[in-house]
Amino acid sequence: MITGFWHQVRAVVDRDLLRERRQGDMLWITIPFGAIALLLIPLAIGTDAVLLREIGPGMYWVIVMLFGVLVAVSRASRETLPQQDASALLGLDPAAGFVGRTVSSAIFLLIFEAVVGIVAIGLYDISIIGIGWLALTLLLVAAGLALLGTLTAAIVNSSSAGTALVPLLVAPLSVPLLLGATQTYDGLQGGYGILSWVLLMVAVVLVVAIIGVLTARPLQET
Amino acid sequence: MEPQVRIRRWPWVVIALSLAVAFTLSMISPADSVQGDLVRIMYVHVPSAWLAYTAFFVTFVGSVAYLVTKNLKWDRIAAASAEIGVYFTGLALSLGMIWAKPTWGVWWTWDARLTFTFIMFFVYLGYLALRRTTDDPIARASRSSVLGVLGAIQIPLVHFSVVWWRTLHQPPSLIKPDGPAIQDPLMLTALIIGVIAFTVVYVALMVKRIELIHLDERRLQIEQSIERPVAGEAVTAPELGAT
Repeated sequence: MITGFWHQVRAVVDRDLLRERRQGDMLWITIPFGAIALLLIPLAIGTDAVLLREIGPGMYWVIVMLFGVLVAVSRASRETLPQQDASALLGLDPAAGFVGRTVSSAIFLLIFEAVVGIVAIGLYDISIIGIGWLALTLLLVAAGLALLGTLTAAIVNSSSAGTALVPLLVAPLSVPLLLGATQTYDGLQGGYGILSWVLLMVAVVLVVAIIGVLTARPLQET
Repeated sequence: MEPQVRIRRWPWVVIALSLAVAFTLSMISPADSVQGDLVRIMYVHVPSAWLAYTAFFVTFVGSVAYLVTKNLKWDRIAAASAEIGVYFTGLALSLGMIWAKPTWGVWWTWDARLTFTFIMFFVYLGYLALRRTTDDPIARASRSSVLGVLGAIQIPLVHFSVVWWRTLHQPPSLIKPDGPAIQDPLMLTALIIGVIAFTVVYVALMVKRIELIHLDERRLQIEQSIERPVAGEAVTAPELGAT
C-alpha cells in the first residue's frame, strides 16, 4: 500500500501512463483522428485561404474539446467496478485517485493540443501572437477538460448507459472553456484585454477541481 | 408497512387559478407601440425564463443539501425541480423563437443569451438522462447531486451573458439597478403578476412531482417485495441411490 496523498497521485498517473504506453489507443489513434478532422473541414467548407485562416483557431479549439470528450469516454469505459473495488481495498484515497486520473488525462490532452496545434498552424496558416498567454490557455483548457472528463466519468461510472451519456454531459459543460480559449486568442490577435477570459477559465478549473475532490469519496461509495 | 402517499388535489386548483390570472392580465394589458400584440408572448416567455433559473437554482440547493445530509428528501426536490426547469427552459426557448421570427426576422440567432440558454437546457437534459440510468436511489442521488452542483455553473453565465456581451437579446427588463425598463404601469403589473403566478405554478408542480416520485418509489418497493419464480426452481436434485 502506498501512503501519502501525492505518492498515491503519482502511482495513479504512472499506472495510466503505463497503460497508455502499452495500448497507445489514445495517442496513436485519437491524435491522427484529430489531424484528419482538421483536414476534412476545408474539404467541406471550401479551400479559401483567408476564410480558413479566420476559422482555423476556432476549429482547432472545437476539435480539442471533442478530444476531451473522447478522453472522458475512454476513462468511463476503462474504470470498471472491480478495478475501483481493488483500488479501494488497497487504501487508495478517492481524492488522490481523482487528482491522479485528472493529471494523466491533462498530459494526454496537452500532447494532443501540441501535435494538433502544429498541424493546424500548417494547414490553416494560423498566426501566433502572445506565446506565453497561449501556453497558459492551452494548459487551462487541458486541465479544465481533464477535470470535467474525470469527474463525469466518475459520475456515470458503473451505470449501464454510462459511456453513451458522457458526451452529453461533458460537451455542454466545457463551453466556458471553449469560449475562454477562443476569446483569448481573438483578444491577443486584436490587441484587446484577455484577462477576464483567462480568469473565466481559471474559475472553471478551480470550481470543477473543488467539486471533484470533495465528491470523490461519495461517488466511490455508491 | 410504509405509510401511504398522500394525494393532494389543491395543486391543480392553484395551477388553474394562477394561469387564469396571468392569462387575463396578459390579455387586458395594452399592446406595445412597436411590437403590437406580439408583446403578449413576453408575459409567458419572461416568467418561463425566470422559472428556469429558479428551478435550476433549487436543483443546485437540493443537490448540495443531499451531498451534505444524505437525506433523500433533498434529492427528490432537486430532481423534481430539474424536470420542471427543463420544461420551462424549453417553453422559454420555443416562445422566444416564435417571437423572434416576426421581430428579428429569424427563428434563431447566435445571440449569447439564446446560445447559453440552449446549452443550459442540454446540461439539465443530461442530468435527467443520468437519473434514468439506475434504479438504486442512493447511487442515483449521489451521482446526480454532483452533476446538479456542476451544472449550476451555467446559471450565472446565462443570466449575465446579456451584460457581458453586446448582443441582440435585450438586457434584464425587471431586475435592474435603475428600476424596471417597462414604463407602462399596466404592462409592468401584468408582467410582475405573471412572474408571481408562474412561481406559484412552479410550487404546485413541485408538490405534485415530489408526490409522484414518492409513488414511484413505493411501486419499486412493492415490485421488489413480490416473490417471483426463480429459473431452475422447478428442478429438484436427483436422489442418490434411487432406483
